[in-house]
Amino acid sequence: MSVLDPDHAGPVPTAHRAGLIGCHSCGRVWPAEHQRCNRCGAHLKPPDRRGLQAVWAWWLAGLIAYIPANVFPMMRTQTFAGLAGNSEATIIGGVIELIHHGSYDIAIIVFVASIIVPVGKFIAIAWLATVAGRPATIEQAHMRLKVYEVVEFIGRWSMIDVFVVAILSALVQLGFVASIHPGPAAVSFAVSVAFTMLSAQSFDARLIWRGLPLRSKSD
Amino acid sequence: MTDSPPPLKPASPVRKTAARAAQAGVNVIWIVPIVALVVTLAIAWNSFRDRGSLIEVEFADATGITPGDTTLRFREITVGRVEGVKFTDDLSRVVVSIRVDTDVAQYIDEEASFWIVRPQVTAQGVTRLDTVLTGAFIEGYWDAQIVGDETRFVGLDRPPLIRSDQPGTWVTLSMDSADGLSEGAPVLFRGVEVGRVENIHLAPGDDHVLADAFVEAPHDARLTTASVFWDTSGFSLSLGAQGVSFNVNSLSSVLQGGVAFDTLVSGGNPVEPGHEYVVQPDESAARSILFASDDAERLRVGMLIDDSLQGLTRGSDVQFQGLRVGQVVDLAVTVEDDAQGTPVVRQLVTMAISPRRIGLPDDATAEDALTLLTEEVAAGLRARVASAGFLGTSLMVELVQIPGAEPALIDMETGPNPLIPSVEGDLDDFTASAQGLVERIGNLPIEEVLNAARDTLDSITALASAQDTRAIPGALRQAIEEGGSALADISGITGDLRAADTGQTFARMLDEASAAFNAVTEAATDVPEMVDQIDAAAAAVEEFAFAEISAQAEGILADLRSMLGSEDAEQLPRNLSNVLEAATGLLNDLRDGNAVGSLNSALESASTAADQIATSVQQLPQLIQRLQETATRADTLFASYGDRSAFNNELLGALRELRRATASIGSVARLIERNPRAFILGR
Repeated sequence: MSVLDPDHAGPVPTAHRAGLIGCHSCGRVWPAEHQRCNRCGAHLKPPDRRGLQAVWAWWLAGLIAYIPANVFPMMRTQTFAGLAGNSEATIIGGVIELIHHGSYDIAIIVFVASIIVPVGKFIAIAWLATVAGRPATIEQAHMRLKVYEVVEFIGRWSMIDVFVVAILSALVQLGFVASIHPGPAAVSFAVSVAFTMLSAQSFDARLIWRGLPLRSKSD
Repeated sequence: MTDSPPPLKPASPVRKTAARAAQAGVNVIWIVPIVALVVTLAIAWNSFRDRGSLIEVEFADATGITPGDTTLRFREITVGRVEGVKFTDDLSRVVVSIRVDTDVAQYIDEEASFWIVRPQVTAQGVTRLDTVLTGAFIEGYWDAQIVGDETRFVGLDRPPLIRSDQPGTWVTLSMDSADGLSEGAPVLFRGVEVGRVENIHLAPGDDHVLADAFVEAPHDARLTTASVFWDTSGFSLSLGAQGVSFNVNSLSSVLQGGVAFDTLVSGGNPVEPGHEYVVQPDESAARSILFASDDAERLRVGMLIDDSLQGLTRGSDVQFQGLRVGQVVDLAVTVEDDAQGTPVVRQLVTMAISPRRIGLPDDATAEDALTLLTEEVAAGLRARVASAGFLGTSLMVELVQIPGAEPALIDMETGPNPLIPSVEGDLDDFTASAQGLVERIGNLPIEEVLNAARDTLDSITALASAQDTRAIPGALRQAIEEGGSALADISGITGDLRAADTGQTFARMLDEASAAFNAVTEAATDVPEMVDQIDAAAAAVEEFAFAEISAQAEGILADLRSMLGSEDAEQLPRNLSNVLEAATGLLNDLRDGNAVGSLNSALESASTAADQIATSVQQLPQLIQRLQETATRADTLFASYGDRSAFNNELLGALRELRRATASIGSVARLIERNPRAFILGR
């Protein structure tokens, strides 16, 4: 089936329209009446916009957790047992401090990993959840699918901040001289990332195709 | 694909079940964000609540304060952190905003005080060196009572010396001037530091100085209204009735002053905080002020005297058996008519006597004291004026038992106070003795002593400056010079001797030998004698007591000189010369006459003469050695005179000359010893 061929102006057939239902875990299609995948035993669930509630719920939880992640300090640095000063840095504060020190590259990395990526993910998931199931052209559907794939791919790298903090706090325990402790923001950030990943996973990609018109635009 | 619509139909039941499933999922899944929200809100609320409240403290400057770093401490525990620093509206001070922990914030009320802790070097020592490392911090102090809510405070310029909750009593000290007293000066009680002086300030609208003194808790019980304070600042030197007294307190009180207090009499009431004490200039003033303080309880009595009152002042002691029982409170003159009716001027001395001091119990009144005095007067107690102290310039009143005194009673009617019968004071004795002392001092033959001393000094000066005394070094020097010239003579003679031409032909000599050798024999007999004399001289030099250097130096030199200039010494070369001349003459004679016949005998006598010369010459080395020894001794002796004195230099020169001369004599002697015959015979 040359569905992706733009010259084919015919309607886009989907499993749903064909009265079939795909298994979420192994991909085998079954007749719509099937409740359970006979191959892998997974529960068969037809694509439904109401399933987006889970996306929204995880998304909201992630967004809520993201606020303390930015407000509270990420790391506590203690030098000379507090004699030379304790410093607490939030994410934005750390970025600003890095810029002040002239480390623009690291500042950009931190900024991208900690601000742009999570915020972009929130926007992307919210947009996907909003437009999923809505009527769309094939190009729009492809665009949505790409965004979804990017979000899925990036999700596993979002924990980079947490890793950095975890490694630093494990390595820099020099007793009197210097020590680094994770701040409350590290936990919040990790929770936020986990929630957004769950949110992205709860998104049913089949809904992207659900809203396709039966015929192409030119029809 | 024409059947595509029918498969759409069963979608609706599926959707319904899915809707139900979703409905079921909704309830579960929405718990997550709700929980997240609740947790986040709880955390936010928690941190907001723990944030504490903000207070503002004004300081003159913000030295060492870093926003975010500087802490607020209460009893050395961090209870807050500086959040910001800003100026007051008129820019005259800084306002430090401090975020205080919630649990202590409630206690910070209007009585709280704040100050900045920095390293300090004061008279008490160096404190808070730790803040050099950690940086300054703000210390606050407040009590556990919650009085009111206050968020704006004025910080202290320096740490308070006494914390407000320290148990003790604050009293106010009043003094004429705060000379020598500085903030933080100790309050001493019998030398023990029991508190501190603070807040020295001028009394408003008055010309004295006020200071707050804090007396710590167990010791403040010793403060009563009867306590007295006095200044112990620095040291005091006083010349008074008791002689010279010099008081130095602790070094600390010399540096920063101090006050001491004592409660010398009982009966005072416990003090209220803020009780004002007058600080006395010194301890004796404080002790005497005690007597004036309990006027009400004291017995005032008078006495009439005829003696001069010069030296008796208000405040002079009244003593009984050497103990102080009161003081003179008034001096006045009264005019009375005596028995003949003529007015007589007498001095009225009013005294205040403390009943307790004369042995009555604490609660005794003036009447009790008067009763006791009445009995005592009946038994012979009298008052009189006596001299007090060491130089006796001041007077006191003495109550003494006069045995066999005329019976008298206390006169209760005459004056405002009872009058004690008085007797003649022992003032005159004192005056006499003082005068006697002065006279004796005046009679001391000071001038004679001084004159004698001056005469003595004059004599010494005259002696020192006398021509003879001055001539001594000159004479010494002259002697040395003469010794030098004598030695030079010897040297010259020796040289001449060596240069003298003695070369004569053997034939001529043989001709003249006989007579010549006779003369040689004659001359040679003198040599041992001369050697003996030199020997004796050297022995005499040797025998000199070297300890009496200055006295005998001249003698040694004179002896040396006489020895060297003696006839014999001079004659040794001269004799030799004469011998040679005579030999020459004789040889000439021999040449003229028949000499060959007497050759044998001549040779024999020549041999004898040569032997004698040899014998005498053998003694010459000993002589020379002695001379050398003498010279060496004299040398070491004079070396002790010092290296650079002119005397020494001269002497050394002379000695060098002497040694050279000795050496010359030695070489001559060696020549003679080696070949006496050649010496004599010219070969």
